[in-house]
Amino acid sequence: MDAFKNLFRKKFTEDLDIKDADFDKLGIKLKKEIDAIFGRSLAIRELDSGSDNSTEIEMVNLTTPHYDIERFGVTFVASPRHADVIAITGAVTRNMELAVRKTYEATPGPKFVVAVGDDACGKGIFNGSYAVLGGADKVLPVDLYIPGNPPTPKEILKGLLALMQKIRKNRSGSERHSPHIVAV
Amino acid sequence: MDALIGELSQASNGLIKPGGVRQGQGGVYVPVLENKLNEALEMLSGKGFELVNLFGVEGFEKKGFTLIYTLEKKGYADLIFITVSLAGSSADSVAAIFPSASWYERGISDGFGITFNNSFDSRRLFLHEAYPEGFHPLLKSFKNNAKLGSAASLPVSPKKGAAQEYAYKEIEGEGVYVIPVGPVHAGIIEPGHFRFSVIGETIYALEIRMFYKHRGVEKLAEGKPPSECVKIAESISGDETVANSVAFCSAVEDISSIKVPDRALYLRSLLLEMERIYSHLGDMAGMAIDVAFAAGASPFFVLREEVLRQNEALTGSRFMKGTVSIGGLTKETPDSALKSLGSFLEVFSKRFSAAVSGIHSSTSTIDRFDTTGVINKELLSPLHITGPAARASGSGVDTRVDHPYGIYSDLQPEVKTKQNGDVLSRFDTKAAEIDDSIRIIKELLRDMPKGSIQAAPVGKIKDGHAGIVMEAPRGQSFHWVMIRGGVVYRYAIRTPSFCNWQAIEHAVIGNIVPDFPLINKSLNLSYAGTDL
Repeated sequence: MDAFKNLFRKKFTEDLDIKDADFDKLGIKLKKEIDAIFGRSLAIRELDSGSDNSTEIEMVNLTTPHYDIERFGVTFVASPRHADVIAITGAVTRNMELAVRKTYEATPGPKFVVAVGDDACGKGIFNGSYAVLGGADKVLPVDLYIPGNPPTPKEILKGLLALMQKIRKNRSGSERHSPHIVAV
Repeated sequence: MDALIGELSQASNGLIKPGGVRQGQGGVYVPVLENKLNEALEMLSGKGFELVNLFGVEGFEKKGFTLIYTLEKKGYADLIFITVSLAGSSADSVAAIFPSASWYERGISDGFGITFNNSFDSRRLFLHEAYPEGFHPLLKSFKNNAKLGSAASLPVSPKKGAAQEYAYKEIEGEGVYVIPVGPVHAGIIEPGHFRFSVIGETIYALEIRMFYKHRGVEKLAEGKPPSECVKIAESISGDETVANSVAFCSAVEDISSIKVPDRALYLRSLLLEMERIYSHLGDMAGMAIDVAFAAGASPFFVLREEVLRQNEALTGSRFMKGTVSIGGLTKETPDSALKSLGSFLEVFSKRFSAAVSGIHSSTSTIDRFDTTGVINKELLSPLHITGPAARASGSGVDTRVDHPYGIYSDLQPEVKTKQNGDVLSRFDTKAAEIDDSIRIIKELLRDMPKGSIQAAPVGKIKDGHAGIVMEAPRGQSFHWVMIRGGVVYRYAIRTPSFCNWQAIEHAVIGNIVPDFPLINKSLNLSYAGTDL
């Protein structure tokens, strides 16, 4: 009987009063780039190498109703084998170095690495500690830096858009891979 | 205070001499002779004292190592610090008296090279195989420097060896197989290792290994002026930013007798409760996601996002970073932000209860939550489990009430407990705590004093030491700060997750593997806060 009740009762959705025109515009731009370059889907594998977790929370927020990044074609995937992009946070602790390298090696090419947050960008306060290597580029070839402590969901989205634009430029231009710092 | 000293001297049969006891910031310091330590701790354990933290200091009151055993007992606002000066670099393990001591002792071994006799677990804790044996970062003889290269260049003590592979417990038997999970996990989550021994679908045993995110927080603070260490305290764990920075600043304020103005105390408490609310909202959303009830999780995510935006309006940062400082706050909170917070909270409660009934009215969700991941009440004291995880298993502990700080002596929180200790109890406990935090914030807004948000010029920071306990969203947080020569000499930290992680090895037994993410999320412990 519960099944019939489910069919006929009020639907469990609501209109959210949270239109952010700026964010939507950026998202639609990103979707167009992803459609053109990545065959309509961008798979991101998130990799925490020693952050304080606030960047992770902001990335989870990208999947929540206010931002809902999946409508632009971006998904966060469980396995590096399914990923196009590795989004790495944290300054790479010595204890995580091996796991970071293995995750990168497990990701099939073509692949890109985005350093998210000040720690991963090499500007964090843990630089100089015996326990960290000092940034993602000490271990991996980084294609894009998104600074912030932590970067907001909008800043992360802007960063992904910049990555798409950089890939587009490199495809048509030279093979030189120069990291593009996002001016936020 | 006197009652505490009285109880100690009465019971101790001469182990503790009233003359040797002295009052310090945050508690009573009791020196005990090395060879009397076990006796003293047995006695205290028998009297209902619980181990809050155990840490080492080199050169505390004289050369050599001192171990400080921090204890608490319900009914006493003050802590007890049992200090033991070691003649050499070994001590007796007290894990047989206080099981939670095991991890602390392993950490002290890693940090200082002190060995513990009769310990039942002497594996390295926060230094994994990447570090050479014989490297002890907390020794004063080792200094951080920016030129540190590969691990091979780290200085080691003479008694070194090749880094040994970590030996996990082995469970053997018919049908037992091992599922190792992590450090990199499937979702957007911090790294840690879980090694399950499973029979069929049912978990027979679980061993966890943390400290993949060990960044060297305690060492980083050494030698820095306290004002530079506030940012370090904020970075311990992003969603405990306010709890940890307030704890650090309070310790420094206690040492230098800095009086924080009332308005700043009220605002700090307001931010602490905002942090509690958004932390619990995330947990509740996560629990629904982990049983694949995305529609049920969405209202919690929506509310959390709105709370983060309120945080930004109040402080300029979604995580309230850069707001707390020694003596008060870094900047004034605009009255308009306080006013809009008030209107937000009016609407919040109704939407929040609708979201909670959305979960309660879903029979399939309740079926997953109910009786899953039970933490027995008997585990709480030996492992020093605190926070909603303890309150959901029937314990009435709440550091805001047991050791009042800030405005909590005047504005007492209502301690919410449940009895079953399962996922559903933890979900309901967090929901009740959010309601209580809203009540507290409303009273703070109503009675918000006017005036300065920063103490009169702080001046030179005095030398001394202080211990602080606070109720972070996940449970009891402990910070001990020692200032010498105007800079931080030692900063010992223990966030609630360090203790609470050990409960998960017991909570999963008898549950099926697919319920593990749910049990994990119902505790929502911080990996960064544990690993430091």
